[in-house]
Amino acid sequence: MSLTRRQALASAGAVIAASGLPKPAIAANESIRVGYLPALTGPSSATGIGINRGIQLAVKEINEAGGINGRQIELITRDTQSDPTKAVNGAAELAHGEKVSVVFGPVNSGESLAVVPMLARTNTPQIHPCWVDSLTDPQKYPMCFRNAPTNRQIGGAANRYVVDVLKAKKVAVISDTTGYGTASVNAYVPMLKAKGAEVVYQSNVDAANPDLKPELLRMQSAAAEAIMPWSVNAGFLSRIINTRGDMGWDVPIVGQTTLGSGQTKALLEKPEYWAKVYPNNFRTVCYAAGGKLQARTVAFLDRLKRANIDMGDTLLWWIALGYDSPRMLTEAMKAVGTEPTQIVGYLNKLKGFPGVYGDISFTPEQHNGYPDDEVVMVEANSLRDGAFNLAPGYNA
Amino acid sequence: MLESIVLSGVAIGCIYALIGITYNVMFSASRVFSFTAGALGMLGGVLGSLFIAQVGMPLIAGFILALFGGVVLGIVTEIVAVRPVLKSLDQHLYVLSTLALALMVQQFTAIEWGTDARPFPRLLDFARGGFDQQFWLPILACAVVIVGLELLYRHTLIGHAFMAIAEDTYAARALGLPERRLRMTSYALAGAIGALAGFAGGEMLLAFFGNAPLLTFYGFVPVALGGVGNNRGAVVAGLLLGLFQQAANFLVGGIFASVAVFAVFIIVLLVRPEGLAGAALQRRV
Repeated sequence: MSLTRRQALASAGAVIAASGLPKPAIAANESIRVGYLPALTGPSSATGIGINRGIQLAVKEINEAGGINGRQIELITRDTQSDPTKAVNGAAELAHGEKVSVVFGPVNSGESLAVVPMLARTNTPQIHPCWVDSLTDPQKYPMCFRNAPTNRQIGGAANRYVVDVLKAKKVAVISDTTGYGTASVNAYVPMLKAKGAEVVYQSNVDAANPDLKPELLRMQSAAAEAIMPWSVNAGFLSRIINTRGDMGWDVPIVGQTTLGSGQTKALLEKPEYWAKVYPNNFRTVCYAAGGKLQARTVAFLDRLKRANIDMGDTLLWWIALGYDSPRMLTEAMKAVGTEPTQIVGYLNKLKGFPGVYGDISFTPEQHNGYPDDEVVMVEANSLRDGAFNLAPGYNA
Repeated sequence: MLESIVLSGVAIGCIYALIGITYNVMFSASRVFSFTAGALGMLGGVLGSLFIAQVGMPLIAGFILALFGGVVLGIVTEIVAVRPVLKSLDQHLYVLSTLALALMVQQFTAIEWGTDARPFPRLLDFARGGFDQQFWLPILACAVVIVGLELLYRHTLIGHAFMAIAEDTYAARALGLPERRLRMTSYALAGAIGALAGFAGGEMLLAFFGNAPLLTFYGFVPVALGGVGNNRGAVVAGLLLGLFQQAANFLVGGIFASVAVFAVFIIVLLVRPEGLAGAALQRRV
């Protein structure tokens, strides 16, 4: 009986299939590729540099502890240079060229506005910490999750502090003329009114305007009991604080995190003008009464000190946010592997992931994971070791 | 309230007037509106802050170096953005070339200096309050520039040469005047005046890259209202602009103040296209 070449090949194939040869061992040991889109350079890099310190520490710790089921995490980093165009290019390269399992970032909203829709089309799971509300939508972007607060939560916390804690009835709301500023005022003023406050002054002012005294005089004559500025422009915010100080008016200023930044501090005419200024921050990384931090934050600070992480030029919440993100992804991939749909399925049911930055929970309908009550206000002039004191009233 | 309007209004008006004079000095030598005038003002503030607050230089050294930075940018403007388009002035290509250079300077400053405003040092160790140095320094700078330019143009030989090329470039060249060198000197002078505006107004405006477009636009208004090439008109119009803007800030506030300023600007130009102090051009027939 003769055996044709085709029959021989078919027989050999059948034997190999039947014998169930093991897959090459390399697949089980190769690293898990995690895409990472920080802004490490450029004008908006301060946040990215802080977050990066946490990310690098977490990945190092995870890998030293054996990685994810024996596989090491490999961070594939593309510096966005604070540029949305470069962020989109980096994201495309991560999704198509590098074939990463999941992407963390970008860390600035302007970049995420460009990247989120693009990554959604590639079915790549994504986690980002950007605040613009529209950057999560389980219908449009089912694989995109946010492990940070939304702008609405940020404004809501400031409004709660002004109305519920300071008991201010008449409020002045001011912003610069940027998209962020005007959108914030438009969103937060109705929320304030819904809480029963009277908005006695509302305006958008050019951030480059060198003299804000007319605006503050208008607020004063309207008997405002709190000023709420919404801007990320340190020059604009410092002019509000300086003008208040020069007028000898001790009205509290409550608003955006930049109120407590080093750039704002550098522009103050007198250090004492920073008193009664309350920017947003996050309860888990703030000093409560007596200068105490939460136990998990104290442990985290010890870890940072042991790793010689520099805290002098950044904020604790940035590092904590960076530290939590790969740990959350690790928990997901340890449980369900690296298939995108499996990761998303796991995250959709995530409940109370205990991060240093905050407890994160998601549902299939809610991809904003940060809890409302962790967003708080702090004393701007209390910064030490990257953390602030809670604003007065929270401990009462 | 009146005191605040006058103090801030006159001070900021003097800064606008100085930027207007910067436009004029460059225009007189080349018939070109160089939109680097605002960038020169911005650079004066940023370089002043860099040399004095960051590097820690003495006030005088920082001041001279800041002005020198303006001089360099003035010369670069002439070489890069003006000279190549002089042959086709009627096509107004200088609008693109000078605006492009101004944007490049602004973006470079944003990248190297940062996008946040930084403090400008307090130049003199006087207590704050009342008629503060942040108000009188721009007024003093403006007065010095006006007197200096009057003396230069009317009582020196080089000043007469400037006047000659401003009046008629071809005739001046026919008389043997070194037109190119005079033009470059004019741009260097304009650079120093622009940087002086930003330096003197540093405490009000802060060291901020975003001051460039602000000064480019508000500095152009005194030129248009005061009459092109008319320095005295620029000063008067600059002061009026500052006072009106500050009054609008108090009376209507917010973005409406800017709207009010530009509404008046447009109305004035509709009524008097040659500017408040300018003379209507005679058309040769």
